[in-house]
Amino acid sequence: MGSPAEEDYASFEERVGRTVYFDNLSPQVTESVLRTALDQYATVKNVKFIPNYTEPRNSPQCALVELDSLKKVKEIILVTAQHPFMMTGMPRPVRACPAEVEMFDDHPVKPGRKISCCWLDPRDPDFQIAKELKHITRRHASEAAFIHKHQMEEEKNLSDQQSLILKGNYKKFKMINSIMADGTARRLARRYHLRVADD
Amino acid sequence: MGEVEEETIEFNWGKKRGVGGKKKDVQFYESFTYDGVEYILFDSVYLYKEGEPEPYIGVGLANVNPLEALAGKCNVICISKDHRNPQPLDDEVQMADFVFYRTFDVAHRTISDKIDDTIAGIHVKFIFNKIDPQKPAGVLKPGFDEKGVSGNDTAIKKVVPLSGQKDRDCVTVKSDGKYVDSLVKESVDSKPSLVKQKCSVGGKLASSVDGQETTKSNGRLEKTIPQSKVKENAESKDSVIKRKSLSGQFASRKDVGFGETDKSGDRQQSISDEKAILRSKVDSNLGECEGRKVFVREVEVEQEVQSSHENCRLEEKPSKKAKMDDSCKVSYGETNSMHKCVSDGGESKTSSQIEVATNNKSKLKLAMEPYRKEEVPSKKMKLDENPSKPSNGKLRKESSLDSPNVDIKVDSRIMEVTRRPDADKSRWFRGIPWEERMKSAHDQGTLVLLQNLDPALTSAEVEDIVWHGFKENCTAKMVQRTAFSSPYYGQAYVIFKTREAAEMAVRKLDQGCLLLSNGRPLVASIGNPCFPEKKPTFYGHLVVDQHRVQSQRDMKDAVSTSHCSQPNNIEYDMAMEWCLLQERADCSWKMLYRRQGEEVKKLKAKLKSK
Repeated sequence: MGSPAEEDYASFEERVGRTVYFDNLSPQVTESVLRTALDQYATVKNVKFIPNYTEPRNSPQCALVELDSLKKVKEIILVTAQHPFMMTGMPRPVRACPAEVEMFDDHPVKPGRKISCCWLDPRDPDFQIAKELKHITRRHASEAAFIHKHQMEEEKNLSDQQSLILKGNYKKFKMINSIMADGTARRLARRYHLRVADD
Repeated sequence: MGEVEEETIEFNWGKKRGVGGKKKDVQFYESFTYDGVEYILFDSVYLYKEGEPEPYIGVGLANVNPLEALAGKCNVICISKDHRNPQPLDDEVQMADFVFYRTFDVAHRTISDKIDDTIAGIHVKFIFNKIDPQKPAGVLKPGFDEKGVSGNDTAIKKVVPLSGQKDRDCVTVKSDGKYVDSLVKESVDSKPSLVKQKCSVGGKLASSVDGQETTKSNGRLEKTIPQSKVKENAESKDSVIKRKSLSGQFASRKDVGFGETDKSGDRQQSISDEKAILRSKVDSNLGECEGRKVFVREVEVEQEVQSSHENCRLEEKPSKKAKMDDSCKVSYGETNSMHKCVSDGGESKTSSQIEVATNNKSKLKLAMEPYRKEEVPSKKMKLDENPSKPSNGKLRKESSLDSPNVDIKVDSRIMEVTRRPDADKSRWFRGIPWEERMKSAHDQGTLVLLQNLDPALTSAEVEDIVWHGFKENCTAKMVQRTAFSSPYYGQAYVIFKTREAAEMAVRKLDQGCLLLSNGRPLVASIGNPCFPEKKPTFYGHLVVDQHRVQSQRDMKDAVSTSHCSQPNNIEYDMAMEWCLLQERADCSWKMLYRRQGEEVKKLKAKLKSK
């Protein structure tokens, strides 16, 4: 039913429903990584990365992954919500959400939508309001950019902090390992008359 | 783009040339029609090749190519001074997509200024410019010649185009009347030439041209006056209709000319085209002058003439011009202030002047004759099957330079955004990766970032909006939404054809307000995108750089595969910290966007029209 445009749009919407949006992806994640990561849950039909030109540099990759059914989309979103799901690295997990129409590069025109535009006359009372709206648009964009920047900083901080913790842990384990290996632990145990269980 | 385009593209063979081949089983054709465009043997075309960022250009192409490679016609002009080459005119060169004057010998790998008689077995006359009486050049030439004859005083010359500009009201009608089938483009093309004829005629007979004008329409002009009054407050649409009715005999033709397309768009284009040509002409007169300056001078001259008693017609013109402004202010900006002041007080004057003008009948005959003569080439122009669109765009852009203070007067009619006329052409070049095109556009300063778009718009719709708002062709790409994009604001990168066009759009949107549906004034800035780095950094993936002694097995597995983390691991704790950070970020985005949404809503509620 409906015109070809409507049918087009309906089939597109169906495709949107079958698509998962992933973000917080490492730049090393490629299409094949995504495919292998997800084939334990569903058949991946199509993978498209969303290019990023506006956000601050180095923001994580985002991708749209088209699966074979809506049910699988829900499953994957549930899995990633319940367990931290990691791709090509640790410990930052990826995030999955349902895809939205505007995320698609090639989304068709919604049937029946009419666009109009007009140049406002400066004497029009709306002109001033439109000017304010323009101003607010710019302000909102810079607010969003600021939050973005702030978020990146927080990510960096967390990353640095975790890196320190990891290094500390690593050092600790290495030390334990080495004193066990070169007999220091046993010598000390003897010195202090402790019993070290030897396994 | 992602979808496979299944539409079949129209293809028809054209003129048959003969039969050949060993068994006479091959048919040769001289021309064919593909996707609505007629291609003739030795036409210059764009050839698109898979995987190549730029299309090839073939001049006098005769080798075998798949039909799909054909991307469109291309206007190539040879500027070689070779005597065998029909020399192109300045306007022709200006309108060309590409020019050449040398050859490259693929066998010897040498560049040569000499052009042999045959190249790759093709006679050189097919490679030089075609001697084509249908080409606009043929029309422009007489204009120049005429000017040479009559031209003695540059000042007058400059004035006259302007008067012609206004006179075009009638001229246009006239020319349209003659046309059997006036494609918009073609009629647009013809206008400048007509104006030029005017000017050449007028070089000597400035006042008599005016006389001619008035008398030709005798009663018509008298009617024009009340009409122009009406027009000042009426919609331009009305004005067109009115003019139609008053131009009587030509009315039906005009219907064809203007009826099918956006009226104001058409006229605006015609005016700016014309202006560009006028300007280029003035340029050629004065040598290397800056366009703006020249234009200002024109205006000055016009004012002088206005004050002079002799030219009554020029006085009347402003009121008429002002009327035209209703439909085409955008390109007219610079002269506006002047029009205004004249048209305010000018009405009463003009009606009396007309009487004077109509008394000029004695001079009329003189003027009439050259005018007639000139009509012939303009008719030919209409036959020109190949109105080169890109060049048209170029001209338009130049004209836009002339109007820095566009928003003095604004055409505040609501335009419904429909598909722009040649939207389908651009789709041929979609094969070039967007990122590369954006990069080069960024380097050339033709990239603009549009903000405050409806996020639901498609890239094609943005292109249409730009077309309706600025009469500029462009390529646009909506910025795809992500999980942290604003739900209210859509953004798009737009690549204009020239830097001037991009700057003009930004300036216009800065000074004026282009209000889109649902109360969104468009915001633009010169685009400054960030491109992905070669070695992007990513926060959150940690690697122990020395050999992994501890939990060696875990680490290896984790890096090479993807997995769900289990809660018995240090990585799980760390992952939880990331989840927490993500939640916090989500919250702050949500709060920010909610507040922004409220602010916008409050402001939008104040808008009268929505």
